[in-house]
Amino acid sequence: MDTRNFTFMFYGFLAAWLILVLYVVTLVSRERRIKQEMKSLRSMIEDRGHA
Amino acid sequence: MREKLIYVLATAASLLLARNLAMIFLHLPDEASQGMIYRIIFFHVPAWWTAMLGAIVALVASVLFLVKKDFRHDSLAVAATEVGLAFLTIGLVTGTIWARIIWGIWWTWDARLTSALICWILYGGYLILRRTVDEPTQRATLAAVYSIFAFVDVPIVWFSIRWWRTQHPQPVFGQGGFLEADMKSTLLWNFLAVGLIGVILLLIRLQQEENLREIDALRRETHAIS
Amino acid sequence: MGFIRQVIVIMQKDLRAELRSKEAINAALSFALVILLMFSFAFDPSAEQTREISGGLLWIVFAFAGALILNRSFSREQPNDCLDALIAAPISGAALFLGKALANCVFVLALEAVCFPLFGIFYNTHWTAQFWPLVMVAVLGTWGFTVIGTIFSALTVNLRLREVMLPLLIYPLMIPCLMAAMQLTAHLIAGQPLSGDILVWLRLLIGFDVIFTTLALILIDTVLVG
Repeated sequence: MDTRNFTFMFYGFLAAWLILVLYVVTLVSRERRIKQEMKSLRSMIEDRGHA
Repeated sequence: MREKLIYVLATAASLLLARNLAMIFLHLPDEASQGMIYRIIFFHVPAWWTAMLGAIVALVASVLFLVKKDFRHDSLAVAATEVGLAFLTIGLVTGTIWARIIWGIWWTWDARLTSALICWILYGGYLILRRTVDEPTQRATLAAVYSIFAFVDVPIVWFSIRWWRTQHPQPVFGQGGFLEADMKSTLLWNFLAVGLIGVILLLIRLQQEENLREIDALRRETHAIS
Repeated sequence: MGFIRQVIVIMQKDLRAELRSKEAINAALSFALVILLMFSFAFDPSAEQTREISGGLLWIVFAFAGALILNRSFSREQPNDCLDALIAAPISGAALFLGKALANCVFVLALEAVCFPLFGIFYNTHWTAQFWPLVMVAVLGTWGFTVIGTIFSALTVNLRLREVMLPLLIYPLMIPCLMAAMQLTAHLIAGQPLSGDILVWLRLLIGFDVIFTTLALILIDTVLVG
């Protein structure tokens, strides 16, 4: 296999996957934030409902 | 239900990717002048096709929202735009890296690259616009209108290499593509894999958008009770 | 009132309002002149260089100075609830939009009518070789970015960060139109006729005008009323 330009090709693939991973990470962190807020809101409603 | 769908699709995508990566690195012969770098095409082109699909979905969702005022269409629009933007970024970055090798320059202002960069800016602007409007209905309406205008650039991106003489290579499919048959089929297979990844991300993002709307409703409820 | 009559009434109103205060016109004219002058002595371009940059320089000047005029288009209606009065008035949104867009176009064209001769003087360029094609290109290009500026002025009038969002949203959308105008202007100022390769830019410009005018007329009611 001709291995010319291997470094740049590696960087290319790395960049593509990194961007994808970065986006997935933002999705996951947003998910965590959403779940936390939902939990706190739901508990707030329960407290108010019982009070 | 949706989670099961996501798992199934993720498995399918992983298997496809494994098969394609094996094909890309182990079986396909080298290109005469470029060496290994040309293999990036198997992610560069599918990323762009996925991004263009995302733009089309966003357009349809935006129009549907303006017509029907159903917030699920608004959720689809923002999800499609965000995922599309991620793939746009991948397309631009892989293209730039490839260009550095084969053209010797990182960037040039030919019709395709310019319109592609504008596409990126436009869809980024869509996400920024959404952040500046707090009221949900107004946000959805303004974003939908902007999305319709922004889509006008997409045909320019698509057809730019046919309409102008560009630095960017001519179409791979269609009139006189330069790829051999097994390269073409690998390209299509990988488009399926990358597209599946896009769909998975879209579904996840859609779920998040619905959760966000539920949070809005819960917030209103707490304010109402207190 | 017939549609045309409505458009003319709105156009006359805007023309009269602006001519009486001359705020935006003065600002735009001063801005345009300053840029033209500064470029001239900052770069002191040769005849050859001037021919190359003429299109780009002129249309950047027109776009930025014109934005000062376009910005005020709907924001002028905000004090005293004038915008609500206009929306409630028995005229169609399309008539309101066309009237304002035409008024804006007249002002920017007036600005260009001053800038072109000054450009000829300060840069020692004979620009009238292809005068009528140049006028046609100026009108088409100006109409294109006026349409965008006017509809987005309406869209952003109620937004929190209006001053910041308006340029951010409209400049990427205007780029295809501006690029076409720049290419055509540079070509015409160099004295070459409209034929051959350059016609693809003219087609793009006309297509852009038609598509964006149509979209704006369809969407203006949604933008104004939500």
